[in-house]
Amino acid sequence: MQEELKQIETKALTDLKTVIDLRELESLRIKYFGRKGLLSAVMRGMGKLSKAERPVVGKLANEVRTSLTEAFDQVEGTLNQQAREQQLAAEAVDITLPGRLPQLGKKHPVTQTFDRIQEIFRGMGFEIVEGPEVEHEYYNFDALNTPAEHPARDAHDTFYITDSLLLRTHTSPVQVRYMEKQKPPIRIIVPGRVYRRDSDASHTPMFHQVEGLLVAPHVTFSELKGVLYAFVQQMFGAGTRTRFRPHFFPFTEPSAEVDISCTTCHGGGCRLCSGTGWLEILGAGSVHPNVFRYVNYDPEQVTGFAFGMGVDRIATLKYGIPDLRLMFDNDMRFARQF
Amino acid sequence: MNVSIKWLKEYVDFELSPEGLAERLLMLGMEIESIKQLGEGLDRVVVGKINTVGRHPKADKLVLCNVDVGSGPDAQIVCGAPNAREGLVTPVALVGAQLPNGLTIQRAQIRGEESQGMLCSEQELAISDEASGLMELPDDTQIGAPLVEVLDLDDVVLELEITPNRPDCLSMIGVAREISVTTGNPLRRLEGDVSYLHPDLVGAEMTDIHNLTGVTIEAPDLCPRYAARVIRGIQIAPSPAWLQRRLEAIGIGTINNIVDITNYVLMEYGHPLHAFDYHRLAENRIVVRRAEPGETLKTIDAEERELTPDMLVIADAENPVALAGVMGGFDSEITDQTVDVLLESAYFHPPSIRKTSKALGMHTEASHRFERGADPEGIIPAINRAAQLIAEIAGGEICAGIIDVYPGKRKAINIKLRPERINFVLGTELAPDEMRDILTRLGFVVSDAFEVTVPTFRPDVEQEVDLVEEIARVYGFDNIPTTLPRGDIPIPKADPKANLREDVKTYLLQCGMMEAMNYAFYPPDVFDRIRLASTDPLRQAIPIVNPLSEDQSLMRTTLLPSLLANAQHNRNHQINDVQFFECSKVFIPNEMGEYPNEPECVAGIIAGNLGAGVYGDPLRPADFFDIKGIVEGLLDRCGFSDYTITRTDHLAFHPGCRAEIRIEDKTLCVFGEAHPEVLENYDLPHKAYLFELDFEQLVNVVETTKQFERIPIYPSVNRDLAIVLDVDTPASCPTQIIKSTGGELVSSLHLFDVYTGEQVPEGKKSLAFAIEYRSTTETLTDEIVDRVHEEILEQLERELGATLRS
Repeated sequence: MQEELKQIETKALTDLKTVIDLRELESLRIKYFGRKGLLSAVMRGMGKLSKAERPVVGKLANEVRTSLTEAFDQVEGTLNQQAREQQLAAEAVDITLPGRLPQLGKKHPVTQTFDRIQEIFRGMGFEIVEGPEVEHEYYNFDALNTPAEHPARDAHDTFYITDSLLLRTHTSPVQVRYMEKQKPPIRIIVPGRVYRRDSDASHTPMFHQVEGLLVAPHVTFSELKGVLYAFVQQMFGAGTRTRFRPHFFPFTEPSAEVDISCTTCHGGGCRLCSGTGWLEILGAGSVHPNVFRYVNYDPEQVTGFAFGMGVDRIATLKYGIPDLRLMFDNDMRFARQF
Repeated sequence: MNVSIKWLKEYVDFELSPEGLAERLLMLGMEIESIKQLGEGLDRVVVGKINTVGRHPKADKLVLCNVDVGSGPDAQIVCGAPNAREGLVTPVALVGAQLPNGLTIQRAQIRGEESQGMLCSEQELAISDEASGLMELPDDTQIGAPLVEVLDLDDVVLELEITPNRPDCLSMIGVAREISVTTGNPLRRLEGDVSYLHPDLVGAEMTDIHNLTGVTIEAPDLCPRYAARVIRGIQIAPSPAWLQRRLEAIGIGTINNIVDITNYVLMEYGHPLHAFDYHRLAENRIVVRRAEPGETLKTIDAEERELTPDMLVIADAENPVALAGVMGGFDSEITDQTVDVLLESAYFHPPSIRKTSKALGMHTEASHRFERGADPEGIIPAINRAAQLIAEIAGGEICAGIIDVYPGKRKAINIKLRPERINFVLGTELAPDEMRDILTRLGFVVSDAFEVTVPTFRPDVEQEVDLVEEIARVYGFDNIPTTLPRGDIPIPKADPKANLREDVKTYLLQCGMMEAMNYAFYPPDVFDRIRLASTDPLRQAIPIVNPLSEDQSLMRTTLLPSLLANAQHNRNHQINDVQFFECSKVFIPNEMGEYPNEPECVAGIIAGNLGAGVYGDPLRPADFFDIKGIVEGLLDRCGFSDYTITRTDHLAFHPGCRAEIRIEDKTLCVFGEAHPEVLENYDLPHKAYLFELDFEQLVNVVETTKQFERIPIYPSVNRDLAIVLDVDTPASCPTQIIKSTGGELVSSLHLFDVYTGEQVPEGKKSLAFAIEYRSTTETLTDEIVDRVHEEILEQLERELGATLRS
């Protein structure tokens, strides 16, 4: 009987070597371990053994069963592994087929630029304020220290709605409107659309500005430099150089134009910056006392600064858009790029 | 304003390169438009003298010249010019020269004879258009000298942009003053005082100007000062070469000696002058007055100008002879026959000049300066300088005396400067002496107590802050510290409208729509193109008085035409599949007030196909339910659900595929398929779907405070229900019945199929609903669900005659 068990073990191990899949393995398992299997048959014969033989054979039988079970499990493990690998191989895709992109829209580059500018100034405690686009001459010019027949009006070729109503030529009138209603301290920025009678590659009859105004008992020109420096570092990248040049605006004094080192050549000189290494991006200055007088602030008691920038221009610089008019064509091929 | 570096150096010394000078001026507030090197292409052009002229053996029209070029042996040059003659001093382009016209001079054989250079005409040297013969130079010109030196062309011209507050910088002396300030080198002042006039040039007492003419100012408000001189016996001729070159260098054309001199002094001092032919003035006298109604004046440009009584004119005893401060008159101008000249130097009220120049569309060198503010005290130096030059150059004698009518003399402006205030507003720590030094260099007079007297050439300086700017710009903006603001930061207010706008934009972007940005104006024909009724209030658009073109003449009242035009633009570039939205203000006339209303709108368009059109994501045509879904999703995003969608009569849309959402009597939103005629009007070959939403109303109905709803804890039971009913019954009817009958137990309801065809009887359709039942208080049993489901079906049968689809 012991001999028989040994033979079964040997036979089973030989059989296992020929198994190629889980189905065959299962039938082999039944052949040996099944109720009518070979091992069971042997075990059934145990009753005929003597008392002395029984524990010996029993022990052997258990050993054979254990070793065969292990052998079967091992083969099953290997087969399972193979089957999984085959399945995975069969499921492989051509990864160069196109992905299914979510069809998302994109914000207009001017809006993206607006968003970024607003975010930066919000971080410096500025509140966002808006104002009307059809504006009174008083707010657009007079209260900004630009009386009728002032030559500075030349720079603002204006669309008129009536004799005194016009399409605002800058966002600066909102400065006056806000100061009329609020007392200092004031920290606002004013995003918005503005209009000038001009149309070529670098001018469109409608464009966008962001105006800034900070008024408090003691505000210095050096703080204007600080705020705009901080803006430039965040907007155009750390290390961008900033240059303040004297300029003239009727509603600020001293007035400055602010240049940044060219975003393309970083100061070496290229076509974008006309070889100067600098790009003009905004106008700024300390609020003119006359403007304070228009809104009944005492210029001895409050000081402030204001700045304004063309958002479309900044967007064209940022994205290298050669013609401002492309902004308003709404070409899908343009819109998808940003 | 063009300035020549050579010319500037007459008034101030400086050793800066043109670029270095440009940089200095830029940092003082003058932008540089261009830097132009004169005499370019004349590098190897020298002065030569023709020693001999011989026949060319093989060509009748050519001659062989032996030319002394100053160094080495004579050059043999073949020449065909008619004025080539022995002894002629003329420019020679040596071998290797590259002329302004691109021609490179090489040693050449011309009809078999060697030519070692080229004798040149003025045109070939880009000096003038003169091409009839060789340029003739004075006999005493130094042979061999570079032509650029001889002709003063070794010069650089800077084109400056002068801001409107600085009329003083519209002159050589003004710019030189700024250079003197930045370099610290003194400004050489030209003596323009009357005592400077050379005694030999001034006539005797008996010729005193007061016996020859008179000036009457009838409008002292517009002409505070008028000065005149008379120069007699002049000879009109071309200006001397140096004067011509000065003017040409800075881009001013030359006319004759008298006119050129007035232009020269204009550029030198920045003060416009005018020269009249003395004998062409009626009664030889000047009256400064407003124009009479109906008066006209033929100006020097030969245009007949119609004058109005608010325009200031210079008249003689009878008629206007000049448009004051703008342009002289044709009939009194200097001609070749002029012998006696009346010279005008005056100050005019700046706004009046600007008004006149704008009204007549005449922008001149004179009006540009007068409207910005000339120097009332610069009148006498300028007129004396011009008189002196005329007498020197054109001959004649300056009549004794000067007429100077000055009814509007103003007190000098004195400003109290507080040095501590300067540092307070700039954030600097400048010493008072440094401020004094800066202002003094600029021509201000500063007392020990910092009383500052403003020079009359600085009309822009009126108050202390103007001095702050002067000190800051000369000190250098770059030298001012960079600091961050101190003090209280105001508390920003919440802006729910801006937040909602951002939410709506984000949502529409997620819908796959690109953000469009259109001009706020459109052409008048858009209302017809979108088929609006003639009475539609949207046609009441605000016109722009002075549009750039008719296409941009009306302020938008609706965004739909712009989006259709965007689709058309894309279609014209072979792009038929378009999804755009725009958030923008429209402009609605306001009968109650002066300002129009500027409500915000949101609109969108889907045209052509949706989908990426790639493997696994095929294109499919958009339809009505895409635009409807976008609108419904938008309102859902805003937490607004209390609305019904009804049919609309908006004429831009297809009559069968258009809908609206109203709140009380106002339309919140319209949407639908564009009417086929609208598609035709915009050349759109495929269907397009649009919506437009009144954002202002949305702001009012939006639910900003969303509340958490408990997540269900009991399981749901799902049942499908397919019914057959009349084809005309709107899907909203059974939907409503299912919801109201099922009550709270119907936790979700989807219509997942609509069918008409063979499987259902004629005139009927089948609708299939997926109903999810769920209770918030218990686990539903089949028994309960069966009962409710049955009730729903019965109700559908009773109310709609629907039957269960078998």
